[in-house]
Order: sequence, then structure tokens, then C-alpha cells
Amino acid sequence: MFCLETYLQESDDYDILISRAGFKDCAKIIEENAPEIIYVNAGEKILGARIIGIPPVPVGLNEEKGTILFPYTKPCYGTAVVEIPIPNEEIVKVRDLNIKGC
Amino acid sequence: MKKALVLLGCPESPSQTPMAVYVTYKLKNMGYEVTTASTPSAMKLLEVGDPEGHYIENKIDIDSCIEKLDEGAFDLLIGFIHKDAAVSYFVTFYSILNTTSIAIIFEKDPEKLEEFENIVSESTDAKIVSARAYHNPTPLRVRFDKMIKKLEEN
Repeated sequence: MFCLETYLQESDDYDILISRAGFKDCAKIIEENAPEIIYVNAGEKILGARIIGIPPVPVGLNEEKGTILFPYTKPCYGTAVVEIPIPNEEIVKVRDLNIKGC
Repeated sequence: MKKALVLLGCPESPSQTPMAVYVTYKLKNMGYEVTTASTPSAMKLLEVGDPEGHYIENKIDIDSCIEKLDEGAFDLLIGFIHKDAAVSYFVTFYSILNTTSIAIIFEKDPEKLEEFENIVSESTDAKIVSARAYHNPTPLRVRFDKMIKKLEEN
């Protein structure tokens, strides 16, 4: 199963756009930094990991770069926005989770 | 047997650990099997205070818990909230479980307290127990007792 914490420790192909922040600020960063935004329910699984946040939770997709941006929350450290690579077939699955119907 | 999940946040606020023991004690007296989900550091504090596990019996890491969680796995969710991250965790657990829920919200700063209350009430149907509290858990305990009495009566 995909574990984001392990991925971040073992890889160097990701970006952290903001860290130790509140959810609201992270949502804004995602909306401002991705060409395509979809909104999902809290608790949805993306790449096998639960998305933690206040619904509708924005998730950014950059198909050209092949990356996804989403909030990553830890109880003592607040919320970060991470951008990691995502395979094309997973992008299709993420789009299916959109709750805003656009 | 009914099942309750007690969700703990970052343990830096002193009120959380004694309230977690108290909430577990009350729920067990009401016949609930109680599971406590927390960070390793919050769990260490509970384990030192309750070395023989008289109160805290079933423990799980908060991130392992959320990965395995399914709708209906618990009859009652009680979450401790005194940080922005804890609001996100509580709302997420609530969304997955879709069950009766109580948010215990506590903060020193009245503006933050109000902000957390607003987010929880806008995003969930959870009942809210809130107080300006940091070192002293008594205001929270008194309000929690009132809420749990109502729950027992229904």
C-alpha cells in the first residue's frame, strides 16, 4: 500500500509548497498553483492514502508535469501542501472523485 | 457491545490527557468498548498515567486507524480539538464513520476557539463541547458531563 510518509522520506522528486500551516491557507495554495482543481470529500483515498481536510478538499492536477498537489496533515505539525508525481491512469481516477461536478 | 472511538490530537495542551482518561472512564461505565486513536507521543502520556491499562485498553496509531477505517466501524466518535490539524482529522474521521459524534474543542485564544467551533459546525452534525481551557480541564469536564447525560437520556 502507498504510504506518503515513506515516499517523502525515500524520494526526492517532490515539492513542498507550504508547511506547518492551517488547512485554509493550504487549500488556497493548491487552488493558486495547479492548472486543474478538483474537489473531493474528506477521507477519500488518492494513490491509496486518505485525504485529510475540511470538505470540499481541493486537489490540484498538472497533467503536463504529471503531478498532483494535495494537503498533508500531521496532528502536531499542521498541514503542508505536497506535489508528487502521479501516473496518467491515476489522474483519471482522481477526476472521478470530483464532488463539484465541473 | 457498542463501540466508541476517542480521537486525540497533539498532546501539547495539558487538559487533553486527563480528559481522555475521564472520557474513557465515562464511556466504559455506559457500556462502550473504547478505542483510543492518537499519536505515539499522546499515547505515551496516557500509558504513563494509566500503567496497568485500567482505562485505556484498546490503542491504535491515528494514521494507521484512518487508513483502515470504514463507515459504521464505531457507534460513537469523540474527538479532542485544540489545533487546526485536529479539526481536519476530526472532520475526516466524521466523514468516513458517518456516526454520532462529539467534538471536544478547547483553546486559550477565544478567536481560535470560535473559529474551530464554526468549522466543526459548518462541516459536520457533531455535538460540540467547548471551553476556553488549557491547564484546567474542569470546564471541559463539566460541559462533557452535561452532553453525555443528554446522550444517555436519548
